[in-house]
Amino acid sequence: MHTAARAGVAFTAVAVLALTGCAAGASPDTEPTQDEVAPGFLAVSDDAFDSGGDLIVQVDYDTAEASGLDPQGAATARSWMLEGLSYETLTTIDENLDVAPSLATSWETPSDTEYVFTLADDAVFSNGRAMTAADVVGSLQRLLDTPTTWTGQLGPIASIEATGDLEVTVTLSEPYAPFLAALANTPAAVLPMAEIESGEIDITTEMVGTGPLVATAHRQDEEWTFEPNEHHPDAASLGFSSLTIDIVGDEATRAAALRDGSADFAVLNSIDSAELLANAKDVTVVGQRNTDFHYLMINSLTGDEALQDQDVRFAINSAIDRDAINELAFGGSTSATGVTPAGLPDACVAEDLPSAARDVAAAKAVIDEIGGLELDLVVYTDEPVLAQIAQVMQQNLAEIGVTVEIQQVDYATYSAAVYGSPADFDLALSWFAGYADPAMVTTWWNPEVAGFSAVFMKGSDELDGLIADGYATAPGADRAAVFEKLCAVADEQSEMVPLVLRPSTIGWNTASLSPTLSSDEGYGNFLRYITQFRAS
Amino acid sequence: MAVALWSLRRIGAALLTLVVVSVLIFTSVRLMPGDYIDLVLGPLATEAQRAQAVAESGLDDPVVTQYFHWLFGVLTGDLGYSFVSNVSVSEEFAARLPVTATIALLTIIVTLLVGIPLGFLAALRSEGSAGAVGRIVSALGISIPEFLLAGVVVFLVSTLGLGVSVGRFAPFAVDPARFFGSLVLPVTVLAVGCVAVVARNTRDAVMNVLVEPHVQAAVARGETPWFIVRHHVLRNAAAPILTIVGALVAVLLGGTVIVEFVFNIPGMGSYLQTALGRRDYAIVQSAVLLAAIVFIVASLLVDLIANALDPRLRLTGGSRR
Repeated sequence: MHTAARAGVAFTAVAVLALTGCAAGASPDTEPTQDEVAPGFLAVSDDAFDSGGDLIVQVDYDTAEASGLDPQGAATARSWMLEGLSYETLTTIDENLDVAPSLATSWETPSDTEYVFTLADDAVFSNGRAMTAADVVGSLQRLLDTPTTWTGQLGPIASIEATGDLEVTVTLSEPYAPFLAALANTPAAVLPMAEIESGEIDITTEMVGTGPLVATAHRQDEEWTFEPNEHHPDAASLGFSSLTIDIVGDEATRAAALRDGSADFAVLNSIDSAELLANAKDVTVVGQRNTDFHYLMINSLTGDEALQDQDVRFAINSAIDRDAINELAFGGSTSATGVTPAGLPDACVAEDLPSAARDVAAAKAVIDEIGGLELDLVVYTDEPVLAQIAQVMQQNLAEIGVTVEIQQVDYATYSAAVYGSPADFDLALSWFAGYADPAMVTTWWNPEVAGFSAVFMKGSDELDGLIADGYATAPGADRAAVFEKLCAVADEQSEMVPLVLRPSTIGWNTASLSPTLSSDEGYGNFLRYITQFRAS
Repeated sequence: MAVALWSLRRIGAALLTLVVVSVLIFTSVRLMPGDYIDLVLGPLATEAQRAQAVAESGLDDPVVTQYFHWLFGVLTGDLGYSFVSNVSVSEEFAARLPVTATIALLTIIVTLLVGIPLGFLAALRSEGSAGAVGRIVSALGISIPEFLLAGVVVFLVSTLGLGVSVGRFAPFAVDPARFFGSLVLPVTVLAVGCVAVVARNTRDAVMNVLVEPHVQAAVARGETPWFIVRHHVLRNAAAPILTIVGALVAVLLGGTVIVEFVFNIPGMGSYLQTALGRRDYAIVQSAVLLAAIVFIVASLLVDLIANALDPRLRLTGGSRR
């Protein structure tokens, strides 16, 4: 009897010691590092590192598009990344988020509406057939003929022609600055069109691209297995023998897998994971900057009646403390942004926005005049940081007399409330992909073009005009001036309010992996440099 | 004859319950806010894309039509297709059901092997500090939620380097050793609560029998404790223990959702959670119906066995007097 009691006490003591002992070593201020090891890179693979092992990557969710594995239907950053392992595009983006050659080794622009691409002569699909100009023409034409989310990003294409064995000419109906950046993302991938048109390949279930890897197995929401594409120019120099991508929904489990060595590389999402892994042996955690950004939706159509007044919306906007969001939700690792993602060329400066003056007294006076305000703020649970941002905003808005009730729901419920018709919310938080050109995301501020925002925002002709100007103006001072004005108008109208950039937290096991990881990313592709990874 | 009639009535009630459950499941899933089409196409999709997807998935039919279509499919063995993977529900379940069934079976075995002896021990030695410690440990086991225990286990195992990896599941056909190795932690986590419940209920059941007159008479006759347990206690305590084990099947169905998610085990629990988040109707409906069938069949079996063991239950409609 006494033995049983002693055993119980001893077990409890060991458990407590283990927990407290492990926790005591972690610094509460540990944040994912953003220190660069080379210009533009958080990590650069070491050529001397052992190679040839199976590379195991853990991510939080899988692809899930109505179009299956067809890259042209890929609508989320995760799908772009996964399908981007097997597909390549005419252009790509480099570590500075500049457009760089890929399947097009070079291009010329005889006029501001004409692009002449010279194609790589060593690009071969994983089925062994060499890529042709007809594949490029057919792929882009298919994207135009069967509109997907990405079709609009390609701009006003008038014609696509093969003008040589390895030359394709695209003509636009009017100048469109983001064209090359839009070609750099997976939905614009070059497909084996001859096989697709003949029915030999069902592109919705099988990935056949010119990319470095071939998917050999996939169990939805569980696991992907990739093998090297033996026809790819980098096949012989790949630093791993195979790639396994595990879908692991629980963040703590991914962190544990890094800690015990059962995963080489993992997406962690939360900066808190960096703190929990601070003392883990052989684990490095970094924060990769993204052009993606969080934003607040203020429902000016079907939300609280007071939100139809621009002064009220601007009061809410100007009460939000972006610095506090950065510190409390992101550990100071990100920065405020306007409509054009901070850090991209010509992007507007968030500190210069009308709301940045943060005149709390003036904002309070506006809310006092209507006798106070009670609003709901909807966030979805898949992205825990949204709840943290919501809490900061709740405190900010309390200062001006706005009482906020935070509602955390699953994404399906969120989607029905925010994008349903009529929209059923006052305030809601979400994030936009920021892409690689500052003009690309601005379209979402035009409800007629975006569609989804028409249920909760009015927009304006002035803003629509500036969005169009941004697309048509060549990069440089003139475009920067357009974006400065565009950001200011959107800020004053305060229907969709950009907050802060959305960084990625990524970890890897230094004993088993030497990766290459850029400091900035535009399309959520943290495996962009996978051909340089070395896994032991 | 009476046994046959009682059994038929019980089976009929179970079938009726299943029909009602199927209606509830179908309507509940459809009443959830948000749908698959909006989720998978995303807010940037056009109306034309949305209309096409709705038509292709058969979601443009009236809900009643959809229900009977689904019910007919279930009765003829066609559970439909997953919207997400476009693979048949039967195929998806075939890959995951054995994993969950193995977890549940192992958990039940551990529970019976550990919980019942512990309960007997606690009942037979209920006096003194051993009984008190037993009650405290049992209460802790019952009250610690699986998600908390699983989280602590994941943290401790990965931190202390106990040689057990978290989340590296392999199918049985690929690597049997890794298959069973990856189930050790989830089964342990699930078994903690189950053992505590069974031990507590076994203890109570045995103690209730021990105070009955015929047992007291046996004690007065000088029969040995082991003889008394074998001849007077085991059979009489079996019915309430069986009932609680039957109820644990339902608890396990809920518990596996959590442990499969935390330990990254690709079973029915984690799959149902993902499907629910995506409003993958065919998967959710069929999985919940399957869970209901398992629960109802388990309850039916428990009742039938309990009645065979203790005929008084049949006469009293299930309650003991």
